Formats: sequence, C-alpha cells, structure tokens
Amino acid sequence: MTHDNTNRVTPEISAYLAPRRLDEALQAMADGDATVLCGGTDLAPQTESGARQYKAKLLNIRRIDSLHGIEIKGGEIRIGAATTISDIRRSAALAEAAPVLTEAAGHFASEQIRNAASVGGNLCNASPAGDMSPPLLTLDAAVELACWRDGAMQTRRVALDQFFLGPGKTVKQPEELLTAVVFKQPAADFVGRFRKSGPRPALEISTVSVAFGARLVQGKLSSVRVAMGAVAPTPLRARHVEAALEGQPLNDAAIAAAVAATAQDAKPIDDVRASAWYRAHLVRVFVEEVLNDVRRD
Amino acid sequence: MEKTTAASSPAKQTLIGQRIKKPDAPDKATGKTRYINDMVLPQMLFGKVLFAGRPHARIVRLDTTAAEKLPGVHAVLTGKDAAGLKFGFVRDNVALKDKVRCEHDEIAAVAAETEDIARRALELIEVEYEDLPGVFTPEAGAKEGAPLIHENFPGNKSLHFEIQHGDLAAAEAGSDLIVDNVFRPHHVTHCCMGTSCAIADFDHNGKLTIWTQTQYPYNYKMDLAPALGINPGDIRVIQPPVGGAFGSKLDVYPYEPIAALLAKKTGRPVKVMYSREEEFKASPTRQAAIIHMRTGCTRDGTLTFRAADVLLDNGAYTSWGPTIPVIMMRTVSGHYRVPVVDFKAQAIYTNNPYAGSFRGYGNVQTTYATAQQMDMLADMVDMDPLAFHLKNAQKSGEVTPQKSFLRECALTECLQTAAEASDYSRKRKEYAALREQPGRYKKGIGLASSIHNAGGAKIHKSDGIGTILKMDDYARVTVITGASEIGQGIDAVITLIVAEELGVPLEHVTIVNNDSDIAPWDVGVHASRTTFIAGNGTRRAARKAKEQILRAAEKMLGEPAQGLALRGGSVVRDRDGAALIKLDRLLRQMHFQPEPELVMVTDYYEPKSEPEGAKHISDHSAAYSHAVHIAEITVDTLTGEITVDKVTVAQDVGRVINRMGLEGQIEGGIAIGLGYALSENMRIENGMLRNPGFRDYKLITAPEMPPLDLHFIESDCAEGPYGAKGISELPTIVIAPAIANALYNATGVRIFNPPMSPETVARAIHEKRQATTQAA
Repeated sequence: MTHDNTNRVTPEISAYLAPRRLDEALQAMADGDATVLCGGTDLAPQTESGARQYKAKLLNIRRIDSLHGIEIKGGEIRIGAATTISDIRRSAALAEAAPVLTEAAGHFASEQIRNAASVGGNLCNASPAGDMSPPLLTLDAAVELACWRDGAMQTRRVALDQFFLGPGKTVKQPEELLTAVVFKQPAADFVGRFRKSGPRPALEISTVSVAFGARLVQGKLSSVRVAMGAVAPTPLRARHVEAALEGQPLNDAAIAAAVAATAQDAKPIDDVRASAWYRAHLVRVFVEEVLNDVRRD
Repeated sequence: MEKTTAASSPAKQTLIGQRIKKPDAPDKATGKTRYINDMVLPQMLFGKVLFAGRPHARIVRLDTTAAEKLPGVHAVLTGKDAAGLKFGFVRDNVALKDKVRCEHDEIAAVAAETEDIARRALELIEVEYEDLPGVFTPEAGAKEGAPLIHENFPGNKSLHFEIQHGDLAAAEAGSDLIVDNVFRPHHVTHCCMGTSCAIADFDHNGKLTIWTQTQYPYNYKMDLAPALGINPGDIRVIQPPVGGAFGSKLDVYPYEPIAALLAKKTGRPVKVMYSREEEFKASPTRQAAIIHMRTGCTRDGTLTFRAADVLLDNGAYTSWGPTIPVIMMRTVSGHYRVPVVDFKAQAIYTNNPYAGSFRGYGNVQTTYATAQQMDMLADMVDMDPLAFHLKNAQKSGEVTPQKSFLRECALTECLQTAAEASDYSRKRKEYAALREQPGRYKKGIGLASSIHNAGGAKIHKSDGIGTILKMDDYARVTVITGASEIGQGIDAVITLIVAEELGVPLEHVTIVNNDSDIAPWDVGVHASRTTFIAGNGTRRAARKAKEQILRAAEKMLGEPAQGLALRGGSVVRDRDGAALIKLDRLLRQMHFQPEPELVMVTDYYEPKSEPEGAKHISDHSAAYSHAVHIAEITVDTLTGEITVDKVTVAQDVGRVINRMGLEGQIEGGIAIGLGYALSENMRIENGMLRNPGFRDYKLITAPEMPPLDLHFIESDCAEGPYGAKGISELPTIVIAPAIANALYNATGVRIFNPPMSPETVARAIHEKRQATTQAA
C-alpha cells in the first residue's frame, strides 16, 4: 500500500531503463521522452508534489561507470555527472586542487542526501539556490552535454555561466545528458571560499550563498571570480564585485568597494524563505566575511 | 546510572525515582510498532478529501456526477450529506461544508477501492466558486463592516474571557514604573510524525467503531456524535499507537466524521489519512495572538499590577484554541505575586487555519510576554533580574488573585538552583558590559520562569479517572485504565507504580488503555495531568489489591497483615524480609480455595480541585508548579543567527517517578519550545499557508539541541502520587522568553513578534545600529 502526497495522479512510466553504457543511455533518450534519474533527491520530491511529471521512460544513469569519478589529467579536472556530493566531499584530490568544492559539499543538505545526490543532478535541477553552482562558477567550470545524433555520440561544452536560464531551466536539450563538469586545475596561488546560510544549520536550502575564487599574488588579487546563489533567477557571476576587486590589493578599501558593488549584482526577491532585504544584507555580510577570511590567511 | 533491579531482591527498595524504559520503546526504535497509519482492515476503502484551496468563497456549483461514475468509487459525499450535523465547541463546524471559510475547508469526500482511484475521483469533481473578501487578522475581523465569516456570529466574535481583581487605577497610580508592550506570538503547528488518520466502521446495529489518534477518548465520543447525528453511546473508540499528538488530538477534526460518514454510506471500513502537505494545511495551530500587556512595579521592585488585553486569531472555526485564555489568565494573574490583575481576551473569527490546543495551552504565548516584562522591569529598577524575581516570588501557602492555592511552591528554590548552576548573575553583568563593544558575535544569558497547573485542570465537570486492576493465577497484573498513552510515557509510570506497590517485576504488568468499550472514564491527556491523575488512580487500585492479598495471606499464614509486605514476587515479613510464600502460589490458593476469590479491584479517583466556573475564580488544579530556564546563547549580530549554547532547567516536579521519562519529557518539551522561539513559523498569507512542508517549516532537529543541565526540585506534593506533580508543559512554555531575555542581554534588542529567526534578529540589530548612528 502506498500513500501519495496530494490529490494528484501519477502519470504512467512505460519503461524503466538502467543501462551500463553511455551510448545506450543516449540512444534511449534520443527522442527527448526520458526522465533522467541519478540520485533522485530532487526528482522524487518534485514528482511526488506534482511540480514535475515523469516522461514515458525513466532512465537510471547510475550504473554507467564512465559517469562516475574525479579525474585530473592534463591540467584539467573532470568530475563525472553521477559523482555524488559525498564523493566530492571525501576526494583527497579535490581537497588539494579545489578545496572550495570540498567546503561547499560539506554544507550540502544532510549526510543521507549527500550520499545519493549527484553533482550533475544538482546542476541540471538549476535551482537558484543549488549549492554546487557558485563554487563551480568561481572555478570557471563548463559542463559537457552529450547526445545521440546521426548514429553517433555528439558532445558539446557549455560554460557554466551560460548554462542556466532560470529556475529549473537550462540550455540542455531534452535529448542531451549532462555527462561531466570540467574546469582547469586552479593555479597554486588560487584561493577559494564558500559561505551559505539558512535558518537552521543542517538540511538547508540556501537563503543566499556566496563563493569567491581568485589568484592572490603578493597581496594582490587577479582572475577574481565571485558567484552568488539565491539572489536572482539563476546562480550568477557577480561581475561588479569582481571588477571592484580585480587587480586590487586585498585591503579595507577594496573590501568596502566589493561590498558596495553587491547591490549591482544581487537582485534578490521576497519569498517564503527570506525577504529581499535580508538576502541583500546577507550577501554584503558574506562577501565581507569571505574576503576578510582570505586576508587573514 | 542506577540500575533497576525491581523485585529481584527482598530488601526494601523503592522504584520511585529510578530510570525505567518505556515499554513501547524497543518496538518503536526498531520499526516494529504498527501505527494507525499502517493499519489495513479487510474490505477497507480509502477516503480522500477535496479541500477548497481558497480562504473565503461561496460555492456556486458542485457536480460530482463524473466522480461517482468512475469504476472503483463507492461513495462521493458533499455538504448536503453533512447538512445540519454541526459540531465543535460552539457548534460552528460541519464535516463537509456548503461555504468556504478557510483554505482547508472540506468540500467533498470520496471512498474508493484504492487511493489512486479516490484521487482520480477528486479530480473529476467540478466546483465553481465565487471568492469573497476575506478577513486575515483579528484586528481586521473586529473592524466594523468587516466581511462576516459566520452569519450567526456578529462582529466575527468568538469566545470572550475576562477577570478583574483589585483596583487597577489605584495600582497604576501607585506604580513608579510601568512597561507597556504589544506582543504578537505567531502561528505554529504540531508536526506529529504520524499524520492525521482515522478508520471508521459501522456494524449492522448502527454502532460505530473508530480507530483514531485521539488523546481524550471519552469526551471524544460526546464531541463526535453530533457530527454524525448518532448517540455517543453508539461509538467505540480504539486508539492504536500514534506518532505524536501534543494537544492536536484533543478535539474532533472533520476527517474523523468524514471517515465515519463514508463508512456509513458504503457499509465498509473507510480509512482517511493525510499526506504531510494536507497535515500542514488541515491541522490545528497554536493560536496567534496580539497581547497588549502592561506590568507595573514600585522603585524597590515590588510588582503592583498586570493588565493584559488579548486579541486572538480564532481562525475559521472554534476548536479548543479560543479557550486558551482559561490558562492565559492564570499566568497573567499568577506568574509572581501580582496583587492587581485585569485580563481581557476576545477571539475573532478570521479566514485563517483554525487554532486548537497545543502543549503549553496559551501559557506559551502569555509567558513570552510576562517573562520579558519581568526582565524589562528589573532593568528599569536597576536590579539583577534574579533578585527581582526572588523578591516577587510566591511562597508555599499563597493564593493567587484567581484563587489558585499554591500549596507546595518551590519557585524560590527553582530560581536559586538554576541561577547558581549557570553562574547567571556574574555572566549577565559581564555580557551586558560587552554589549556595546565592537565584535560580531555576542554572548547572552537570559532567565525566565512560569507557573502551570500540575494536578490537572477541572475545566470539565470531572477531572477524574477510572482504574480496574486484576491479577491472574501467575501473578501477572493487568491495569485497565482510562489513561491514554500518546508517547508521553504513562505506560512506564503505571508499570512502575504497580511494581512498586505489588512487588512484581515490571515486565509482569500489562496495560489495557486503548479501547473505550473496555477501559473506564478519563478526561484525557491534557493539562499536564496524566501522571498526577492516573498515577493516583493506579496507586489507589494497586493498594486495594495489596490489602486483599495481605488479608488472604494473613488467613493462610497466620501472620498479621500489617506485618506483611509484597516484595520480589513474594509475600514477605516486613521486619526481616523473610519470604513466606510466592505471590503466584498465594493467588492460586485464593482462587481455588473453598471460598474462592479473585484479585480484581476497581477505583475511581477524582482530584480535590474546584471546577473552573464561569467566573474563573477557583482553585481549578490539584497542584501548581514552576519552572525556571536559563538560556545561554551566542548571537551572530550580522546574520542574526542565534546558537543556543546551553539551557539550565530547574523545575518543581513534586517528586521524580520515572527519571528517564521525566528527562525525555523535558528535553522534548524544550525542542518544541525552541522551534517556537527560533525557527518554526506558518507563513500564512491571505489565509493561504505558503510553507506546507518540512523544507520551509523548520523544526528543531538533533544537531540544534543544546546541552541541557536539568535540576529536579522535589517539593513533595501532598495530593500527588508519591508527591509527584504534572510536568510536561512547562518546558515548552519557559524556553522562548529565556532566549528572548538572553538576546536582550547580548544585543540590547527585543523581539516582540517571534520567532526570533535570523532575519528578524538581523533586521532588529541593523535598525538599532542605524538608530544609534543617526542619534550620534
């Protein structure tokens, strides 16, 4: 006996597929009529609540080995789409090469959800508050999208800051599968930070989040990338804050300028979780906090 | 840790105050317990309810034809099927409505073979509404010309309460200092882990059996009957294990008569169970209120008066929520020695979800106000709040203006114990001095207390309980009692008392307390009463059984009964502990002798309290109790986040019965109170709940629970079982103002509209800083 959530009828899923090979998965979704299942931590509550409907095929991609794992090769880091948040959190390689991701993974939901949720799913869900987006934006990451076309696998790369279109919307086509997220291995002098908040420490959906990444050479910032979550319809790069910091020494004046510039980047809204005022306030607090934190180290 | 070796040793050893496990704990912890939500009966149908989904509307057209034709659907009911079957505290509710007065109003109900079919049927019901202007705050509802929610309640006025004592004008004139604030406590809900559920079944004689989560099975029959148009005597209430109640199951809610009406129509058992989203929308709330409170004192810190004008958000129907002033006024008039009192409360109908009872029952809201005003006045007369509280604390033997007789009053000891254990006075001074210094993180310490009934509350004609105790040929004891177990631990208390009195092992005690056709009358689980009332009932019944056994032993052994005792499963000589005969053997001999007798006793216990009465001037509880909480917090002044570092509790428990159960009740009560204080908030906008799920309605979970330092003050209540008092509501009541006072100590900010969420706190601190900057 099952008890469903609302007065809503579950659409029939006509086929459940769990291939072991990527090409099989891509062929199965070539008609654009498959719902991709990986961790299911966003999919299950969304379909349960009726916010989203299943397509005819339910395609589980977790058995595809090539979608798992973290690889550093030729100065590039590649994280398979099905890699779980726990995998990221525990990866010694990432802790060394991109600790900002390790930090963000540590703030992600709860242990149970981290064990199931995948990085690809977190990005495809395209929540303005998605926890992996801001740190990956500061790493200048791109996503790989693959599909089956004309009897062969085709792939393309899309910069992450071009990927999101709005809440739940991305440039990914229905027949495309996000297979990996990739970014250049940060330079040795790269520093990164992540900060998020919510009304309770565990199991949070960010009220706002801020990620910061830059090269810090002799006290001066360069290649500055600042990203924010839950302050706009998509996670975004805070270009004005970046401009206020680029080429500057990390001092009180630069920090004050960066904090002032948040108003031009963050355009938050009032919703059930927080008011626009509080989100804007928190962004200022967090930008100041992460910059002071970098300065202290 | 003390280990309970109960009856294994013949030496005199009391179980009272030991730590014993709840008998239901192993099954609950391992998932073996079959909750009502898990139950399936043969032939059972699934009921589903169509909710209005709008706050105030007229139903223009309702067509159920397509739903009725769907294969697998057995019945579709609408307002017509419940017309005239009014129920509720003032008979303003029906199971299925012909007009919409709140978002979750039940418009139609379906019984079908499966839940899926029932759901499809609901989608086929066509309803056309004409939306009406709504009333969403009590102020708006009280305004002249406000939309009328019930035609027979002019001015949207629901219940009204007031008490006056003493000359207010003179007391105000005689006050050197007066604090005057408006507090706006918010809506929260119980969030029982087991969602609301009922299964109903009629037999061919017209008798209804209802499996439900009620915490007051006997008055429940009286309250359910009018919703069905049947005699309360034709209702049998069975209470399977429940996943929480906390006051939410102290009334009849429409899903229960809906299940019964569907069962009647179909002739089959029907189960109605809410989803989590439905649970959020359709459950009762802790009542939101607007409390305008004034308290005065003289320059030496003596309280002179307290006045409160309360406007309550009744919601669309009158459940028990609007009766909370019965307890609110006891706090206003009895929280410290207040010679002059003026209390008024008016509940106003709104198109919001309606309020029910919830652990703390009005006292949560008023203590949030009184305990902060105590802190403010202490500051104004420049006294350490501890000294201010001690100066005004009642002593044993005092009577409040409402005639609550504080027979055993341990408020002074509670204050001193908690303050000493937490080093309150030193820390408060130190943190206050650091308040205006630079620094993002600020520490604060806050003290609050309250008073609550601790020996029941005679708001019904009776506050009593019936108990039947029987023993079998193997010396196994069965207690058949009206006391409901809703997770609070009464089964453990009853087991412990029986083992204590009859000298049998704990595991030889069985309790039957979930069937109204078997167990005798009890008022229900409310008013922190069950350990007090059922504890007394059980002890009295067990002592009657003991007398009978010892009389028989005297006859058989030739030793005088007064020199005998029951210990370790035997009749022993009290003087030297010598075992004379095994208890089971004695019971068999009693049973099979030429003049046979069974041990089978009954008891009816009615506490010595006075009925509440229409004027509310009465000693309505057999005992009263106090608790003091001291909260230590760290505030992030930029994000507004409050971390509770530690809570020190000193509570007058009368006497500890089951130490582990007591600790659990206090910890659980504080978890509920912390959620109220910090994070829980029903976001109701224009009558619609915007956060009907745990994603956006934040309970306190294990990681946020602070370390607790618990101190139990044993005042030895003469009327209580072994001296015990009721304990379960005070922990929920006192914690929020303790945190509010700590927040003030840390930052100089006070929050009058809880919860003290990060945003609310951050904004208040931000505004205070801006005001300070502007002033400079």
